Amino acid sequence: MTFAGQLIFAGVCVGAVYALIALGLNLTFWATRTLNFGQGSLMMLCAVVAVMVFDGGFNIYLGLLAGVAVAGVIAAATEAIAIRPITRLTGSMGWVVTTLGVGIFLQGFVSKFFGSQALAFPSFLFSPRDYVSVLGVRLSAQYLIILVIALALVLLFELFQRRTAWGRALQAVAADQDLAAVMGIPVRLVVTLSFVASGLLAGVAGALVAQITGTVDAAFGFNLLIFGFVAAVIGGMGNTWGALLGGIFLGIMEKLVGGYVSTAAEQAIAFALLMIMLAVRPEGLLGEKEFVKV
Amino acid sequence: MLELKNVSVAYGSIRALRGIDMVVQPGKITAVLGANGAGKSSLLRAIAGIAPVTEGDLLYRNASLKPYPAHRRARMGISLAMEGRRLFRHMAVEENLLLAWSFGPRRTPFAQAVRSVYDAFPILGERRTTKAGMLSGGQQQMLILSSVTIREPELMLLDEPSLGLAPIIVSQIFDFITAYAKARGTAVLLAEQMAVMALRVADHGYVLRGGQVVMHGASDELVKADIVSKLSAAYL
Repeated sequence: MTFAGQLIFAGVCVGAVYALIALGLNLTFWATRTLNFGQGSLMMLCAVVAVMVFDGGFNIYLGLLAGVAVAGVIAAATEAIAIRPITRLTGSMGWVVTTLGVGIFLQGFVSKFFGSQALAFPSFLFSPRDYVSVLGVRLSAQYLIILVIALALVLLFELFQRRTAWGRALQAVAADQDLAAVMGIPVRLVVTLSFVASGLLAGVAGALVAQITGTVDAAFGFNLLIFGFVAAVIGGMGNTWGALLGGIFLGIMEKLVGGYVSTAAEQAIAFALLMIMLAVRPEGLLGEKEFVKV
Repeated sequence: MLELKNVSVAYGSIRALRGIDMVVQPGKITAVLGANGAGKSSLLRAIAGIAPVTEGDLLYRNASLKPYPAHRRARMGISLAMEGRRLFRHMAVEENLLLAWSFGPRRTPFAQAVRSVYDAFPILGERRTTKAGMLSGGQQQMLILSSVTIREPELMLLDEPSLGLAPIIVSQIFDFITAYAKARGTAVLLAEQMAVMALRVADHGYVLRGGQVVMHGASDELVKADIVSKLSAAYL
């Protein structure tokens, strides 16, 4: 019981991080109907920058701030370089390859200049040994704080989207760019800001995961992106609560399978879920069927 | 208010408009008549800033509009109601109005602005929490029109507001447009296939064919020139 409880708890926490990644994907999907497959590398980049600043003798929080900022800027640049020209000139799905290319470039860049060795990531939120006891189940304090941060961000985002003019503007741009423009919404700015926000989310997610794993290397983030993508598809692409639900569901499945079967099966279960979902309910658990106008 | 000088619009190699000269005056309704594909929508979209102008110039209050992207023009008081029931279907009626108001000049507080919309079209008030996509065609057109008027525009561009509506709704909507323009001194550019209806409310008219102005003048002159039956004979 305790073992299962711990697995489920860990699953929920890890799942909340997947939800953050999914939320970042949702954001760019709304704004441009594209996904940034370089998102995983942004997570890695944020963590690496944080480590570099920290190793340079500065405060870790300063490092995290720098890392998250870098992720935001690179995300905006990705849109300008790898997405906008593709969708404007060709209207093709070429962005799948170009965004992935940006991600691989960042990986290569980091392993060239910082080495492909794993870098130690400092504990900034409690130590791995801190725990809280709830109903006889030992809950790691680090996992708990990650859950709290991730949930708070998802909640804040949902509030922003529903209650603010800019949140509604984002929805408007997602639905109909021409209509949004003639209503006075600066479409380009909304698109750029949504990429910045998705970069910031990726950065935060990267820092949170690096906190659990304790190390970060150039390849870090790619698997996480896949899990985030699966979470987004399970929950329904573009749906915030769906991202949360999908993330947590995926996290629990992953940890249960990892705990009772084999950790080697964790990734397989993610892809199995993706395939089942796409076959049975492609619009996702909470997604609405989309009617594309001709 | 608005003056078009030799305006051409092209999408890539496809030319939609050629050398359009046009004047739109405040407080007056100017009709743009023509069959499907004559270039009416392209004209309105070019003025709003969402169709590419390849030649000529658009003067709004004596200054060129060309440097300004669509959202800036929208804030300068130009408001386009697109054809084809373009509204945010997944948003409620009042959310559509709130969005239109939020990025407008916001001269009137929202509560007051939305009340005057519901006074003009009570059915929208009754259905204010309904998703726009669930409204009837007439109600959707009322909402599109209200999304334009709630921004208190100086130049309204209305693209086929009568399309697919029952005659009684059409006259209700046209009455509203006429009263609104007269009361506020708003300039209206009205694109219509239904020439009879349009010329009944419009002060001036321009007839487009193949992307060019083939005739223009006061509404009664166009009626006298039997433009209505010429249009129907040529295209229906």
